[in-house]
Amino acid sequence: MEKASHLSVIIDLSPTQWHLSAQTSNQYPLSIETFLSQLLAFLNAHIASKHENSLVIFGALPGKSVLLYSSTELLSDDVPSLDANSYLPFKLVDSAVVQRIMNEFDAIGELEEEPPCALVGAVTKALCYINRITHPSSTTAGVAEDPSIVHDPRILILSVSPDLSSSYIPIMNAIFSAQKLALTIDVCKVYGPDTVFLQQAAHLTNGSYIYLERRDALLQYLIMSFLSPTSIRKILAVPKQDKIDFRAACFCHKNIVDIGFVCSVCLSSTHYLLLSCDLAVFCQPLPVCSTCRLATLVP
Amino acid sequence: MRAIKGVLLTCDSAVKQILLTMNEKDPFVIEDLDDYHLVIKADEEYRVRRELEAELEKNTYSLETN
Amino acid sequence: MPVQSLKNTDVIVPQHAPHPLLPFLQSQSQTTLTRLYQRPSSCLSIFRLLGPIERQLIMNLLWLESALSAATMSAWVLPEGKNAYDSALTVMTGLHIAPNSAVKLALNPTFKSGLRQAITGGGNTGSFGVPTDKDAKRQSANIENLDAYALERWETILHYMVSSGQGQNPTKPSQGVLYLLQRSGLMNNVHGAALQITSSGFQFLLHSPHDQLWNLLLQYLHMAEERQMDLVEVLSFLFMLSTMDLGREYSTEPLSETQKAMLEDLRDYGLVWQRKTSSKRFSPTRLATTLTSSSPPLPSSHSTGGSRMADGTGAVALSSGAAQQGFIVLETNYRIYAYTDNPLQTAVLNLFITMKYRFPNLVVGMLTRESVRKALGNGISADQIISYLTTHAHPQMRKNNPLLPVTVQDQIRLWELERNRLKSAEGYLYKDFASQADYEYVLAYAKQLDVVLWENMAKRCFFGTLDGHANVRGFIERRTGSV
Repeated sequence: MEKASHLSVIIDLSPTQWHLSAQTSNQYPLSIETFLSQLLAFLNAHIASKHENSLVIFGALPGKSVLLYSSTELLSDDVPSLDANSYLPFKLVDSAVVQRIMNEFDAIGELEEEPPCALVGAVTKALCYINRITHPSSTTAGVAEDPSIVHDPRILILSVSPDLSSSYIPIMNAIFSAQKLALTIDVCKVYGPDTVFLQQAAHLTNGSYIYLERRDALLQYLIMSFLSPTSIRKILAVPKQDKIDFRAACFCHKNIVDIGFVCSVCLSSTHYLLLSCDLAVFCQPLPVCSTCRLATLVP
Repeated sequence: MRAIKGVLLTCDSAVKQILLTMNEKDPFVIEDLDDYHLVIKADEEYRVRRELEAELEKNTYSLETN
Repeated sequence: MPVQSLKNTDVIVPQHAPHPLLPFLQSQSQTTLTRLYQRPSSCLSIFRLLGPIERQLIMNLLWLESALSAATMSAWVLPEGKNAYDSALTVMTGLHIAPNSAVKLALNPTFKSGLRQAITGGGNTGSFGVPTDKDAKRQSANIENLDAYALERWETILHYMVSSGQGQNPTKPSQGVLYLLQRSGLMNNVHGAALQITSSGFQFLLHSPHDQLWNLLLQYLHMAEERQMDLVEVLSFLFMLSTMDLGREYSTEPLSETQKAMLEDLRDYGLVWQRKTSSKRFSPTRLATTLTSSSPPLPSSHSTGGSRMADGTGAVALSSGAAQQGFIVLETNYRIYAYTDNPLQTAVLNLFITMKYRFPNLVVGMLTRESVRKALGNGISADQIISYLTTHAHPQMRKNNPLLPVTVQDQIRLWELERNRLKSAEGYLYKDFASQADYEYVLAYAKQLDVVLWENMAKRCFFGTLDGHANVRGFIERRTGSV
């Protein structure tokens, strides 16, 4: 029997961006309500595919990230009532997600200045969660082939906010952890300009990055690009980006730079072979590298 | 030309030699074809199989440890 | 010569053994299937039984309003996946989910709306089962009781099969079950006496509970048509059960007559539980709710296992691995230590193992030539024994690579080969041909008919099959007559 797959969905819930997205001045205005109804159909499709599929949903809000739903732990006791025309697991997901998002939005209230969305925090939480379930402790002994052990974890990021240069380093660290876990990161840019860091994340983990042009066809995009597990992507291709913007952000000012200076000491101590990894990159030559604190002889 | 009704036996050479030895006591072989094939009388097949199994059992030994 | 053990080969295309129910569904007419697709729960269950490529294709087409051209869809297919893609399409057309067309791809409209309703919730067919309110007077069955009930019913059936003809007197399952076992060829009536297990019955015992359950259900479906039961009603009831929530009670009011009649059979197999025969409510057991999934349908029969379900749904719980624990340790000296006190598991082991000692929690035995040959004589194959041992291997065994000692695996296969040293085929020996040309002519004709079992050019003779004799003789007579 084929293996179960796991999907972690991270929803960017920045109120400002969603407000802008819903404006009729856009070619295809998309309000958060419409977005959520299409997303819930997609999430139900994932659960429908296999009984053992697991799902976890995080919300990235201004200044914090929250767990909205987890299929492996019931977070609250108010289970929605059963009815004869719907399948209970679908109802659980739908009501949990909508309820929690409403609560969070109410809790935000009025803010003078909206702090940036904690997208990276949500990604990190998702990584920790996946690490926990892909390496169960030895006490959960089972038969040789346990269908509930997750084999194919994926993260789907639904982003509406632009890039945050201060999140460059945390995102790169997250990408490396994802590579260690053999995880695929998919990104769907629902609104807003292209995010360079998330493009790199999708590319480096062999995932797919979609810039949503026809926002009225969100559900179809989601299903065709992000529903299939990795083993099926070898048969039915998913769209990927050709040109990846591989620029890095410098460590001193967190600006995105085209040309930078690399500390020769840190370079020798790293074993990654990527373009813009955790090398200390600076926009100006410095006498002392801030990461390794050794004097550089030549910039 | 002739057409003879029989049963074609396919086996390895060792088993074939055992069958030929059995044949000397109680004939059942119609024709010896090659190293791996024999043709025997059709109604003798069951008896031959039983005797062959008994013969092979004489060559197997098992260690019973209690 | 040494027997090669199977190596782990990496397959690019995900291997998916089609579910045993699919051929049965494909043999039904389009009208039957369309009636079945009117219910969202049936659409959802059948969707889950399909392979991963079929599911992705169905999802791709589900929310489109108009048909997609086949060329557009196949543009998404990578070259190495072409075969898998084509076979997926064949499965879909066989089930009338997609009409057979080389030009356009679309979903059967009934199936499309049924699956859409399943995903978004809606419609008024009540196909997911009408739940009942909590009965204030009586306590409904909780999950442990349901599991215990299902386990007891299921093991009664299996135990009866194993211990038939061995002088024991196990509890008899109900008449309906006995009839089903007989009809499916798992047991038969020898000389009008009590039922005896057959060789396919032995093989059945070594299958996983999932396969066993579907085997019996398929037989039930075959019999349903003879018993004047509406197949669509039967199937939709089974599919409704597979989508129900474990531990809840559902009402029998909206069920049709056929479905109410099924309740008794399903109780016997351990799929549903009812307080009494006339009760207006029923609860599905885990055997029912895992019909379309690969989660273990039965809890572990050890007291140490137990279910660690924190939530009441039990639908998508991660700790389902705690059930179905392995308990067999196989050593390189052919000794087997089975940590079980379950009489059914002991009886199944007894089929191919010589028992040595029994303790309250442990059974010790050895794989001997006699015991394995006895099992082989009963119709069990070496591969089945090996896969049974692999599936139920104790977690400690997982430190070994490969899981079972190679020597023991090879020896079991060698014992199987021992029984096949002599192969026989009835037929005719043709010899004493007049000339070489004669021989070659007749031989060519026989080869055309594909009846030649052995030939020897030097001796000018060949051996042909029994069925081919009439044709070959006729050919020779025509030739000699004309010469």
